[in-house]
Amino acid sequence: MSRHDWDEKADLVLQRLHAAGVEYGDLRIVDSTSQAVHGQDRRIATVQDSRDVGFGVRALVGGAWGFAASSVMTAGEVLRITNLAVEIAKGSAQLATDRVRLCEEPVHTDAVVTTCRTNPFEVPLETKTTLLQEVMEYLHRQPGIARSSAQLWARRDRKLFVSTEGSRLQFDLIASQGEITATAVDHRTGRFASRSFSTPYLRTGYELIEDANFLREAPRVAAQAVEKVSAPQAEPGVYDLVLDPEHLSLTIHESCGHPSELDRALGYEANYAGTSFLTPDKLGRFRYGSSHVNLIADNTEPETLAATGYDDDGVACQRWDIVRQGLFVGYCTNREVAPKIGQTRSRGSNRADSWGSVPIVRIANIGLEPGRGTLDDLIADVRRGIYIEGHDSFSIDQRRYNFQFGGDAFWLIENGRRTHMLQDVIYHGITPEFWGSCDGVADPSHRRRFGFITCGKGQPGQSGWMTHAAAHARFRNVNVITGKAGA
Amino acid sequence: MNPDPSERGSSSLVGSGPIGREEFRRLAEIVLKLSPGQRTFFVLHDGDSGTTRFANNQIVQNVHTRRVSLAVTVAFGQQHGTATATDFGEETLRDVVQRAAQIARLSPPDPEYMPPLQPQDYPPLSTVREDTVGAGPTRRIALAREAIELCKSEHLTAAGIVSSSFKVVGLAANTGLFAYEPRTESKFSVTAMGAAGSRASGWAANVHRSIEQLQVVERTRTAIEKAKRSVELREIPAGRYTVILEPAAVAGLIGPLVWMLDAKSYYKGTSPFVGKVGRAIIDRRLTLQNRPEHEDLLGDGFNGEGLPASEMTWIEHGVLRQLRYDRYTAQEHHVYPTPALDAPYLSAESPSHEPASAPGSSVSTLDELIAGTERGILVTNFWYIRTVNPTDLTLTGMTRDGTFLIEDGRVGSALVDFRWHESPLRALLQVDGLTAPADAVSNENWKMKLPALKLRDFNFSSVSRL
Repeated sequence: MSRHDWDEKADLVLQRLHAAGVEYGDLRIVDSTSQAVHGQDRRIATVQDSRDVGFGVRALVGGAWGFAASSVMTAGEVLRITNLAVEIAKGSAQLATDRVRLCEEPVHTDAVVTTCRTNPFEVPLETKTTLLQEVMEYLHRQPGIARSSAQLWARRDRKLFVSTEGSRLQFDLIASQGEITATAVDHRTGRFASRSFSTPYLRTGYELIEDANFLREAPRVAAQAVEKVSAPQAEPGVYDLVLDPEHLSLTIHESCGHPSELDRALGYEANYAGTSFLTPDKLGRFRYGSSHVNLIADNTEPETLAATGYDDDGVACQRWDIVRQGLFVGYCTNREVAPKIGQTRSRGSNRADSWGSVPIVRIANIGLEPGRGTLDDLIADVRRGIYIEGHDSFSIDQRRYNFQFGGDAFWLIENGRRTHMLQDVIYHGITPEFWGSCDGVADPSHRRRFGFITCGKGQPGQSGWMTHAAAHARFRNVNVITGKAGA
Repeated sequence: MNPDPSERGSSSLVGSGPIGREEFRRLAEIVLKLSPGQRTFFVLHDGDSGTTRFANNQIVQNVHTRRVSLAVTVAFGQQHGTATATDFGEETLRDVVQRAAQIARLSPPDPEYMPPLQPQDYPPLSTVREDTVGAGPTRRIALAREAIELCKSEHLTAAGIVSSSFKVVGLAANTGLFAYEPRTESKFSVTAMGAAGSRASGWAANVHRSIEQLQVVERTRTAIEKAKRSVELREIPAGRYTVILEPAAVAGLIGPLVWMLDAKSYYKGTSPFVGKVGRAIIDRRLTLQNRPEHEDLLGDGFNGEGLPASEMTWIEHGVLRQLRYDRYTAQEHHVYPTPALDAPYLSAESPSHEPASAPGSSVSTLDELIAGTERGILVTNFWYIRTVNPTDLTLTGMTRDGTFLIEDGRVGSALVDFRWHESPLRALLQVDGLTAPADAVSNENWKMKLPALKLRDFNFSSVSRL
């Protein structure tokens, strides 16, 4: 479908919404293309080329929302869906007690395009399958490796956003990612363990994969999987932890990102994802972490997942503080919830995962600001601790207060030196106590970006995209338990 | 062919419904004819779904989506490729077939590729309820209003959803395979909460093919009762406790166990069940079956490859009998492939559905389990369940929305939520009592029929704190 066709449909929707007298309305037409190449145990298991095209209409009537969407792109369906959105909003309004009032946002007309060196959709498929097969062969060269997986993923989203206020925004966004995993089995004990290496999800092209150099990393990944499966278990107890940026991306996401979503704090997610211990009365007053902890939301940093120029409210992306020198000072908001705490402008964190989903408040690109010193400096000042890389098991309560994290790889630190690997390390804690125990963040040269495209929230469930950057950080006196039944 | 559903003559705002069987057959014929592949497999999903979501006693989100999705897999020998699209205009069909064929030609041969199935016989399951087919935003709003009004009348705040969907799934291949099934599903869940600043919370949910079988009033009253009991929260230390898990919480243990019953992992040595087939893995009173025909479960007539649903016993009186075989692994090991365990039924009944009769296997009511407990903890639901150790299937999670101390056979104080740390392969060997199976619905699992269970020495590893 051509851009002209999209414009015609947009005009049709806007005319209908204006005629219906809506307080606000918008349309998103989205054409998403993705390619996933997945290898497993030396073979290319699936190559899938997906196309997902459709449109969604939001209408605000009587202070209440209606949303309807369809993948059928005919003029008749566009009118039916627009009328349906209006009718649903009228139905919602029957139960409205606290009418939706959107905060102001300037009208924007813009086009946002991801710049990349190599368009991932123009890379020959044979190049990708050959790379993955070679990587898996490398992984299996290591004795003890029983299973392998390797995958490449790319997506392109072309989108048109128009609103009854006059905003008209065009997007052409690309994202890429790749990862490899080796699984080792220790036949003496029956145990198995995996080690992974992945690129972050970023809004870049195939250069992300080329620069990652999977063939160079594969022997290390396989060797560490084998070392991990027969590594000693951690003794439960209190340890100092040094966490790498990839691991921290998840800790930040779960224990800072989600509780800073204002819709959660206001009860919108109470029946599913949960609420937040960071209630509005704590804004500007609550000691979230130590003075080393500066968590900044930045939806303007190039290549990051939430840096899309504008959110799905048509609000320009911004940079703001969530936690400043340990103090909780900011939320992620949209145009609906920001006025409920007296804020005059949305932070631009309202995003939908497809044309068929209604936008909801999403975690921004929240990152931990670097500090001073090196990773070695952080480790040198640890008498008994654990250094953790990567992600594995994670779980957190519905207020984002009590959490538990594992990791992909663990090393014991003794008297300021990283010694040998451990397995089954799990640490748990209470969010503000944990961040309060942070006594060092490494310098900007250690800063890395990781992110997620599977952040679950909303009913029906949606997958959110965001990036979390961090440098290595140290946390004192954290409770560590072993990940074993009955322990 | 009339592939454009907007031209079917309906003026209804909620549309004319998904593609019919004969329309799908004509579409499949076109796709199979367009394909240059030796093997072609075509899957189509089409339907409407809607969700009315409420919080703070009003509707905060109200959505209705029509989504068509189709996938074509083309194979030349062992080379295969898949392409998908979201409409079924003729131009799209041509494009999606060409893209799949192009991928197949460029892909390396896959030694585990399995051609589409030959024609199958499918059980006539009752997968559609007319009330759900006809339910649109108006009905969903009315049900949401019932829940909200009930909570408001008790000075509580309601958050929840009412959702319904009517979809069809069609499969076809040039082996002659053809399957088509319409399916309805509806869901209700509600969290009743105390006033701002209060941690009082109660939850209940239901999922059913029929929107009129959601029991919105009864379930809301359950949530209200739990919330009212939770006004004063007490914190007690973490540790090992006797627990009574309501069916939704039991689903938190059974879901991951079922998910890990994968035969390929078993033979590769990366499964917690290695060496355990034919051995008791859970309490001898418990039998786990797939019962796709059960009217309260959501068993489908076929899986994504077209394998017919069938009743099957996976765990018989505690003994692991069945793994989930994909078609390639089944062929390698000379067994039949296994359709999904999508209608789990865990009970003390025999595989032939006879009531429990063996000594010690009689079932109790939930009240009787509570009355027989001197000191323990009653758990409504679990949340954020994740695998901690895949070797022994150790899981972690939180209690949520109604956790109560049981003392001297009575439900007493509401408790601050716990984090737990357990393997179902250990916990389900500590069964002190069980009820008959009941609806088990949670946010993290599909619908099951499961008993409430009384378990000894359940490991609560920390407290969430007041």
